[in-house]
Amino acid sequence: MRCRSALTRVDALRTRELSQDERGEVESHLKTCKSCDDSLHDVGGLAAAIKALAIAPPRSCKDTLCREVVDSFDRVEAGGREVWVAFAEGGIRMITARSIDDLRARYAKRYGRDLQRAEIPAALKREVAAALAGEGVGKPHVDLGEASELETAVMRALGSIPVGEVRTYSWVAQQVGRPKAVRAVASFCARNVVPFVVPCHRVVPTGGGVGEYAYGSDMKRDLLAREGVDVDALDALAREGVRYVGSRTTKIYCFPTCRDARRIREENRVPFRGASEAAQKGFRPCQRCRPVAAA
Amino acid sequence: MKNSWTGGQAALATAGSVENLALAVHRSEPGAFERLIDRFEAPLFSYAESVLQNRFDAQEVVQDALLRAHRALTRQYDEARCEALALRPWLFRTVRNLSLNKRRSKRSKLEQPLDDFDDGRMGPFVHLEGSDLERKQEVELLRRAIALLPVDARELIVLRFMEEMSYGEIARTIGSSEAALRGKVFRSLKLLREALEKKGVNYAV
Repeated sequence: MRCRSALTRVDALRTRELSQDERGEVESHLKTCKSCDDSLHDVGGLAAAIKALAIAPPRSCKDTLCREVVDSFDRVEAGGREVWVAFAEGGIRMITARSIDDLRARYAKRYGRDLQRAEIPAALKREVAAALAGEGVGKPHVDLGEASELETAVMRALGSIPVGEVRTYSWVAQQVGRPKAVRAVASFCARNVVPFVVPCHRVVPTGGGVGEYAYGSDMKRDLLAREGVDVDALDALAREGVRYVGSRTTKIYCFPTCRDARRIREENRVPFRGASEAAQKGFRPCQRCRPVAAA
Repeated sequence: MKNSWTGGQAALATAGSVENLALAVHRSEPGAFERLIDRFEAPLFSYAESVLQNRFDAQEVVQDALLRAHRALTRQYDEARCEALALRPWLFRTVRNLSLNKRRSKRSKLEQPLDDFDDGRMGPFVHLEGSDLERKQEVELLRRAIALLPVDARELIVLRFMEEMSYGEIARTIGSSEAALRGKVFRSLKLLREALEKKGVNYAV
């Protein structure tokens, strides 16, 4: 082995990073070559001197970084229920009725952050408590982070359903401008990270009935009943295949739970199985609940 | 034959405990990210500083890199990928890419005389146990000699001798073969020796 190839391997020899063969060759060269052997020692000394030059940052960024990756959570109890709420400066970021572990795991997955216990700001607490008690929340402070455009739109549409009323998944799809994306919309409702506050429980299947819910349909019925929805009446309408009701006097038809529909007198009430049936009979859709959107 | 093995053993000793940290951060274990910062912030800073020769930029780059790492580990990489991840080269590579980006954009903005080191930046960071003036001066000369090297030689010196990385890890960090690296490290050392000799220091220790 020549000096040149020995010298390029001296440093690797120092840290035992050479293969058996290479090591043998280099070592036998060093025995015969004084200057290369010196170089080995030289590298060792230089390495130690350079190591001592390592500098620490003037100020650790640990606190800044940890604040960037940790948010807070708290327990909120209202309406006979307890939920775990994760929040940041932007607002409520996640709610679960299951457990802290469930919250932590899903939070890390969605937002990539840890959670630590802290007291929830009163304004946020009021919103959660109102939602649990069935009083509804006007415009909740919700921070979904980097949510997709469709998810944001779906959440906004859900928030526009008034307390005590229900809409269908196809209605939501229409509201977000994606009338054919009923499935996608429904899956966003199902994966709603801030249930109760963003009222995904106010969306029911077009076919009628109350439908499924992340915490079971019993809880959905209970939540709706608390908000003033006559859940049994919904079931009854579903059995008869009634989707809309109209008023003989105004010639307007609505979702059965629309506040205007609830005012229709019994003798003026006309049930419809679909929007086209109502249109044929000369009825126009209600401008408040916009049933035509769900045609 | 006079030997000095310490560097290699130190490099090997840290390798084991580092592996699980990626997984721990991925699983959001309490304090995992803090441990990762504790372990890597200073070495990454030293490295970034050597490339950028500016501690403010270096700190910015390290902070950005650690945040990116956290995001990738918790949100992009799955369990298997985190488990198989060689954390140290991966972090250094992130810092390297960010540093080189920053260097490039800075240089295009203003022509910094990078070969001029005498601006007081090197001053306050010298930590020495002994108060031996001669030794202190020697250390300072070494620091300045390294600062004068071209950037690729400088980063190799830092990775290899300050951070005590194995050739395999350096290869993964900067994307080169181990055989080629041996030559590069050798040439970088040669440049450093020449620079030191010019200053009248013969590192025969």
